[in-house]
Amino acid sequence: MPGRVITITSGKGGVGKTTATANIGVALARRGQRVACVDADIGLRNLDVVMGLENRIVYDLVDVVEGRARLRQALIKDKRLPELQLLPAAQTREKSAVNGKQMIRLCDELKKEFDFVLIDSPAGIELGFKNALAPADQVLIIVTPEVSAVRDADRVIGLAEASEKPSPKLIINRLRPAMVRRGEMMDTADVLEVLAIELIGIVPEDETIITSTNKGQPVALEDRTAAGAAFTRIAQRLLGEDVPFQTFDESAGLLDRLARLFRSQ
Amino acid sequence: MAITLGEGAWHDILNELATQLNRPGAQSFFHGARVFLETGDRAFDVLQIEELIALLAQHEMTLTAVSGETRTQDAFEQARATMPAPPESLALETGESPAPTTTPKEAHALLVQRTVRSGQTCQYAGTIVIIGDVNPGAQVVAEGDVIVWGKLRGVVHAGAAGDANAMVGALILAPTQLRIGEHIARAPDEKRARQFPEVARVRDGRIVVEPWIGM
Repeated sequence: MPGRVITITSGKGGVGKTTATANIGVALARRGQRVACVDADIGLRNLDVVMGLENRIVYDLVDVVEGRARLRQALIKDKRLPELQLLPAAQTREKSAVNGKQMIRLCDELKKEFDFVLIDSPAGIELGFKNALAPADQVLIIVTPEVSAVRDADRVIGLAEASEKPSPKLIINRLRPAMVRRGEMMDTADVLEVLAIELIGIVPEDETIITSTNKGQPVALEDRTAAGAAFTRIAQRLLGEDVPFQTFDESAGLLDRLARLFRSQ
Repeated sequence: MAITLGEGAWHDILNELATQLNRPGAQSFFHGARVFLETGDRAFDVLQIEELIALLAQHEMTLTAVSGETRTQDAFEQARATMPAPPESLALETGESPAPTTTPKEAHALLVQRTVRSGQTCQYAGTIVIIGDVNPGAQVVAEGDVIVWGKLRGVVHAGAAGDANAMVGALILAPTQLRIGEHIARAPDEKRARQFPEVARVRDGRIVVEPWIGM
């Protein structure tokens, strides 16, 4: 069976696309899935740093597309998880170095070898985003509980729907339960009310993300941290397991009801 | 009828459409149709829209509405302004028709059955009925009324050709900005939306919002 191409995107920058891609990739690989993480942010590559593989890059995505390297030469095996590999972005080129058709062809190749192809989309809605969206079988939208991030997510959902992708699924990132309790932050229900798509995960704000990102050690390598456990649950849901949503002290009943409401659609 | 455009070069699409319209039997079926164009995330310029209008005109079809990216909407508006309009829509668009019994909102309505999301625009020379939400950052512009069976939170303009008798109704009426004809109202800064259907009309030169009890 060919693998699934999942594009992780958000519209707005800095909401956690790259961190989510790395951690969902790690969590899937820990469950025995063969995973290729593809950095589509050409010119601003980051995924290699977050995954701790920066110093092993020889060839990149553009080298493969332009025929200077074979796919197998450019893929970097993760030192911790043999099932996990990275296709890094070119740092010295621009988004226009590839087009949607080339991305589709590239992903068709990757699908033969991998169960999951995770594409880390650049921010924005321009060419880089369109390239990342083109090969997607499924789209995950990352949003933080902020009005501006929700607005951008809505825009991107509209664009994904317009290009006839299946309805995207939503990850709410960096939720701060204490602030929600004080009524100072949008809660899950507020976000879902606007975006009206299926929720696939809630990741609480977690300081360990910052240190782990800097060290190139994704938190999902272990389930000790709240964020790591949350990414693991997202991976389980992608594999079709029915994992209950954590409530993070939010008003429990309502959240579960909403989650169920959006799953049943 | 609705036309949704897929991938491909513009002229391939146009040729394909021409072929479809020229098929035996298609001629009479499409004759006189009013066309609603769904463009997805593709952006079209004025020339392309004009080509499409010209092609449809050969089959006595009229392009009456476009849904998609704001840029495409603008192109449609420009094309409509410069092209000689077919007699039927001339009356609707210029308001020169002396017959008050066939105002745009009574004549035609556009039904939109989806959520209108941020960055998307719905524009029509008549009444627009939306079954779904209008999210913040979205725009709805109608020459007639706007009726939203859902939450209206974007920017809405009813009676866009200057009709102050147009109305805006929604299950939850909480637009970022609401315009009727020449009148503009914006959302109060702190008020939370009321959780019952409301309707906005112009009374004594001001936009007034009240509970929606029948039309």
